[in-house]
Amino acid sequence: MAKRALICGVSGQDGGYLAQLLLAKGYEVFGTSRDAQISPFQNLSLLGIKDQVRCESMSLNDFRSVIQVLINVEPDEVYNLAGQSSVGLSFQQPVEALESICIGTLNLLEAIRLTGKSVKLYNAGSSECFGDVGDSQANEKTPFHPRSPYAVAKAAAFWEVANYREAYDLFACSGILFNHESPLRPDRFVTRKIISAVCRIAKENEGVIRLGNMDIKRDWGWAPEYVEAMWLMLQQEQPDDFVIATGETNSLQDFVATAFSCIGLDWQNHVETDSSLLRPTDLAVSKGDPQKALRVLGWKAKYKMKDVVKMMVDSDMA
Amino acid sequence: MKKKALITGVTGQDGAYLAEFLLDKGYEVHGIKRRTSLFNTDRIDHLYQDPHELDQRFILHHGDMTDSSCLIRIMKQVQPDEVYNLAAQSHVAVSFEEPEYTADSDALGPLRLLEAIRLLGLEKKTRFYQASTSELYGEVQETPQTETTPFYPRSPYAVAKLYAYWITVNYREAYGIYACNGILFNHESPIRGETFVTRKITRALARIKLGLQECLFLGNMDAKRDWGHAKDYVEMQWLMLQQEKPEDFVIATGVQYSVRDFVNAAGKELGINISWKGNGIDEKGYDASGKCIVAVDQRYFRPTEVETLLGDPGKAKEKLGWAPKISFRELVAEMASEDLKAAERDELVKNHGYKTMDYHE
Repeated sequence: MAKRALICGVSGQDGGYLAQLLLAKGYEVFGTSRDAQISPFQNLSLLGIKDQVRCESMSLNDFRSVIQVLINVEPDEVYNLAGQSSVGLSFQQPVEALESICIGTLNLLEAIRLTGKSVKLYNAGSSECFGDVGDSQANEKTPFHPRSPYAVAKAAAFWEVANYREAYDLFACSGILFNHESPLRPDRFVTRKIISAVCRIAKENEGVIRLGNMDIKRDWGWAPEYVEAMWLMLQQEQPDDFVIATGETNSLQDFVATAFSCIGLDWQNHVETDSSLLRPTDLAVSKGDPQKALRVLGWKAKYKMKDVVKMMVDSDMA
Repeated sequence: MKKKALITGVTGQDGAYLAEFLLDKGYEVHGIKRRTSLFNTDRIDHLYQDPHELDQRFILHHGDMTDSSCLIRIMKQVQPDEVYNLAAQSHVAVSFEEPEYTADSDALGPLRLLEAIRLLGLEKKTRFYQASTSELYGEVQETPQTETTPFYPRSPYAVAKLYAYWITVNYREAYGIYACNGILFNHESPIRGETFVTRKITRALARIKLGLQECLFLGNMDAKRDWGHAKDYVEMQWLMLQQEKPEDFVIATGVQYSVRDFVNAAGKELGINISWKGNGIDEKGYDASGKCIVAVDQRYFRPTEVETLLGDPGKAKEKLGWAPKISFRELVAEMASEDLKAAERDELVKNHGYKTMDYHE
């Protein structure tokens, strides 16, 4: 019998790619969104899999809706990708960040306990939990120092998962994913905003893009291969947490320069800095060490920042 | 002008000691209490002033950490100089049974208060103290624990408090609010809640001594904790808000005892000499007459245990000149003697033909 997967937050970037991956592996894929009737599921349409994913309405904040979906779907694996996903937005909606991420994850863990079925859970952790790591690379043992309401909520959710694993023997894992991009990212993410602007400038041959802090450094990977790491975590003998990253860190300026070089322009003629785009607190440097994922899961990022930029530009120009 | 303090959780152990401490310092003290159908102000009844009195300096408000609008309204009305967030679902074992409520009151609660400060434009005026906890260290990553020891929470209570810790740090860094965490190790007193292990021990042994109870049932007796007196610790809470810059501090004694040590110490104060036999769940404590008065009951074990906690109060001493004044021995003696008085009262009532309740969980 085909395995069943339930993807909470299937309408997002990772939800789309994960659904695609699991369908290719022969899974029956169920997805949730807060209102499955009105959600357009654009990403699933773009990937050409909308008809193959069975979508249910579920709000992680509402325990009844969580337990109902778990009972109806009877999944073997649950992927929790739902919840507020933007650091910037979390400063405007801190309570929503906490409720969708912390209370949401707690509801899911409690619902799994209550059903008493052996369901495996993947929880989307975040590299934002580490905060500024300076010169060192963050691994699974690096202490958290979250710097935004989003990151604080993700840190608490990470520990909820660890506690339920230790207290109740649930097969539950967190993937601490560093930034992972794709053409499916929404425009409020800076990477997508840059690629969209660069492609517009390429077509119109003029224009500028306004950015906040260009010195920030991040580890940018390719979302379609990150979802494979999520799946791999649930295929192990023992549940565990993993850092997923490329291991390469670049500045936002490098990212911008690479994007403009893809269309043969000099970024310096097209970029303005805008201090109104700065966040109340931001990370200077984010660096990941994916060695454990390689050692245990056999997972390694094939694509680094330059490849990611090129693939995003190609997709937008096409 | 008189300073104004707002204490959430004013009906609790720390709230009562802190309210008294701040009233002595000349503060106008506002407290928030939950509405309950039973009176819940035992610990602060001696501070209560009739609302019709002139120059009232201790004022209670009904409120709840799970209700944003009431917190905003009270903050707006009081315009406090200092907020002490002591309200919480504060019991580790109960948090395994009520994880969501624990997150709502212990994680979302402080976020609501911090947001109220921002919303009312009080960022420059109101200083914020968050009651953090040694439970954050959980499965300890180093010993003793300091302000830089990484956290490893082991219960829904600790995870909710971890959220509260970091959101307090974030609002300090992001919005310049004078906000700090006191990472308090266990702190006890004669008014500690009756279901916390120390109070449970002193109450039970006092009642056993007078023949009002047969046996004291405990969970993990090997658990080691750093126990201080709540009265010492509330002084430190106030000190933390009087500095030039907001910072987080560990508040502890730097000395550690096991639950079994606590039982022995309390027994000694009450003149009960306990001898131990057996191991693990079969371990039992006997009095001089050979009667079993302490036993292990597995229901008090937690799904995930915290085996050992030991704080290093070095930073508090160095920067704020703070050191605990009351020793472990004095703490146990005070708790045992107060609980003996309460047991004697029950005995008296019982001997006169009235019913007394046992109240043990």
